[in-house]
Amino acid sequence: MSLPLVPLLAVVSVLLGGLACWRRRESTDPTATESPRHPASLRTDGGEERPDGGRRTDEDRRVSEERRTDGGERRADSGSESQMPVIGTLYGREHKTSKPYGLMRWLTSVDHKDIGILYLIFGLAAGMWGATDAMMIRTELFTPGTDVWNAETYNGLFTTHGLTMLFFFVTPVFTGLANYFLPLLIDAEDMAFPRINAIAFWLLPPSFVLVRAGLLTEVLAKVIDAVGPRVEFLYALEPPTMGWTLYTPLTTQLANPQVDLLLLGLHLSGLATIMGGVNIIVTIFTERGEGVSWSTLDILTWSLLTTSGLILFAFPVLGSAVLMLLFDRNFGTTFFAVEAGGPILWQHLFWFFGHPEVYILVLPAFGLTSQILPKFSGRKLFGFKFIVYSTLAIGVLSFGVWAHHMFATGMDPRLRASFMVVTLAIAVPSAVKTFNWMATIWNGNVKLEAPMQFLVGGIGLFVVGGVTGIFLASVPVDLVVHGTYYVVAHFHFIVVGIIAFSMFAASYYWYPLLTGRMYNKRLGTIHAVLSIVGVNVTFMPLFLVGLMGLPRRSAQYPVEFTLLQQVATVGAFILAASVGIWLFNMVNSFRTGPVVRTPDPWDLKESNQFSREWQWFERRMTEGLSNPQALADGGRVADGESDASNDAGSDAGAGDEDSDADADAEN
Amino acid sequence: MNRPLAAVAGGLSGTAALTVLLLLFEVETRSQIGMFDVVARFVGVPGSTTVGFVLFVAAGTLAWPLLFVAVEDSVPGSDPAIKGMGVGVLLWIPFLLLGRAELSGAIVFAFAGLTLVAHLAYGYITGAVYARLTGRTPSSGTLGDGSELQG
Repeated sequence: MSLPLVPLLAVVSVLLGGLACWRRRESTDPTATESPRHPASLRTDGGEERPDGGRRTDEDRRVSEERRTDGGERRADSGSESQMPVIGTLYGREHKTSKPYGLMRWLTSVDHKDIGILYLIFGLAAGMWGATDAMMIRTELFTPGTDVWNAETYNGLFTTHGLTMLFFFVTPVFTGLANYFLPLLIDAEDMAFPRINAIAFWLLPPSFVLVRAGLLTEVLAKVIDAVGPRVEFLYALEPPTMGWTLYTPLTTQLANPQVDLLLLGLHLSGLATIMGGVNIIVTIFTERGEGVSWSTLDILTWSLLTTSGLILFAFPVLGSAVLMLLFDRNFGTTFFAVEAGGPILWQHLFWFFGHPEVYILVLPAFGLTSQILPKFSGRKLFGFKFIVYSTLAIGVLSFGVWAHHMFATGMDPRLRASFMVVTLAIAVPSAVKTFNWMATIWNGNVKLEAPMQFLVGGIGLFVVGGVTGIFLASVPVDLVVHGTYYVVAHFHFIVVGIIAFSMFAASYYWYPLLTGRMYNKRLGTIHAVLSIVGVNVTFMPLFLVGLMGLPRRSAQYPVEFTLLQQVATVGAFILAASVGIWLFNMVNSFRTGPVVRTPDPWDLKESNQFSREWQWFERRMTEGLSNPQALADGGRVADGESDASNDAGSDAGAGDEDSDADADAEN
Repeated sequence: MNRPLAAVAGGLSGTAALTVLLLLFEVETRSQIGMFDVVARFVGVPGSTTVGFVLFVAAGTLAWPLLFVAVEDSVPGSDPAIKGMGVGVLLWIPFLLLGRAELSGAIVFAFAGLTLVAHLAYGYITGAVYARLTGRTPSSGTLGDGSELQG
């Protein structure tokens, strides 16, 4: 190690040591902790206390309904009203298990809502990164030549864009929404396995770091460059360049060590996803509250159940295949090298995972659409049962269509025909949903709030994406447009058109519940209009480019495509601007948006659709009447407004504690 | 907290975010923009990236926030974070003009877009932290307690 690094390390160690000392002193301060008076205070399941000392009684349900389930509350029965609030800590001599405040809360929480928010923030950050990749792709494609980034960088961009968006943006965001809302929707107290829930989330950041390690090591290298010598091995990881499908033999032959890290990262993220999926399944089966039976399950829960079933069967295949590939690269195995298996084996294994994955991504979006659409149509969801059946049908059929990605590989024509039939068949349940959505809106009392704008736009774009998919399912058409921009346009109409749109709809619809504030409605509408225009301007030209025969995944293209490609790039910038507006709206409304004082900001009671998550919100709000600020669920007291009932909490000096706790302590 | 100190605290947060974003964009674009050469040109010491970066951080932490405090009250609007975004845009324009010296073609779009995002983040964070520390975060009223804000 060279000299300049040593003082740097010394300074960092001193800082870390000081921080540890400081935390330790804080945690042993007797006024800031509370001794456990009975075993029930040693609970570790999210921090909620039970009045009966942990024994299950018949009154459990009733009691738990009266109590909030955010895990951060303080006991009313601990006889310690005069004491400081409980502040959990890792360093204290007594092992505290109530939810800590501040940063430690987010690092240690096993509360489903906290983990849900962590998932959402992680997914958002990954999505922004993947979107930056996309913008760079479109910048390169603005001109026909390879003149912005070099071809290697371009290949890296479309690879990381795909991987990031599918595994680290869409999946975590939907898992996050599931985490937050599933227990509320089925009246459960938490997920079935709170700790597995936390592990499932905390495996994601390391797996994302593995997949995109090259960029991070290079950032580190540049920082070290600024103060010390050039550390050569930190520059060794190049962006992976084989496409998100990891096709062999290219993937087995690339020398770049980043590819190995990427495979390990994908394996890890698969484990995380499976844990999340198992947790969702078990929660739905075993944790439903009284009065929530299979017949009264809501549509989003059905979608999440089906999705998790798909995860359970699909992701282990990816895990195994990825390990086989890793062994081929590092340990001299020949799974994908010899005649018996060969590259086509990889394609079968990959797409046996990959096509169900498509539905893992889209089913929660369908679920959100089905859940939210009726709220703004003033009518019950049309054909509820058929939407459930179609979801289940998609779940089953999705395992029988994988080879439609391989029509051009020279597989047996009889097999090809059978996969074509199943692929065409899977369009039927999708269409059932579409028509049910239209029938739901039909003659309804439509309220064109931002969530509804996104849902209506999303359904329209999904029709375009879905119908072009039917063309792709047909073998003769597929052979013509295989590997062209037509395919890119088709799946982006779905991935952006309905998947991202349903997320935006959900973000607006539940914004009051999540933050206790209302978003800026004008910005929401501008965002919706720009998004719908942006998707069309970006991806419509790509249909034409594809039909004219331009292969995708190339940094350069013949000049005759220039105009259409430039239109698409302009569309992409429109989309980027709209996402910027959304982000600004979310952040700024969290600071300054109007505080929501009604549990029913969407007038759902009027149409008798005041569903369970809003009932939960209402319970929180009524219990917190003495402290109207206690609505935000991020554990924050709303900005700039003090509250009389907050005195016990503010004494602790923790600025962002969950102020519900105070209201509870006064009960 | 007094206003200049709050603004400097805001500037520190904003500059941290701006630096991280510029560093990320620099690496993400495989160093084809040369972001830190841009920074050096922007602060007037072309070719000397270390000195340039130090000046850049000093300006972002001290100069611009203090200037912001001086003019904040005479700028219309109630939210310092929004006004901060205005400052960000004002700073971004010379950054763009001075910085793009050797760049040409479509990469200018990427350069402009990415640096604009970074500067908006700088301005917003500076203003938001300043507003929070000085208690100037505006309140937009409430929804659903009789004084409805129906949109």
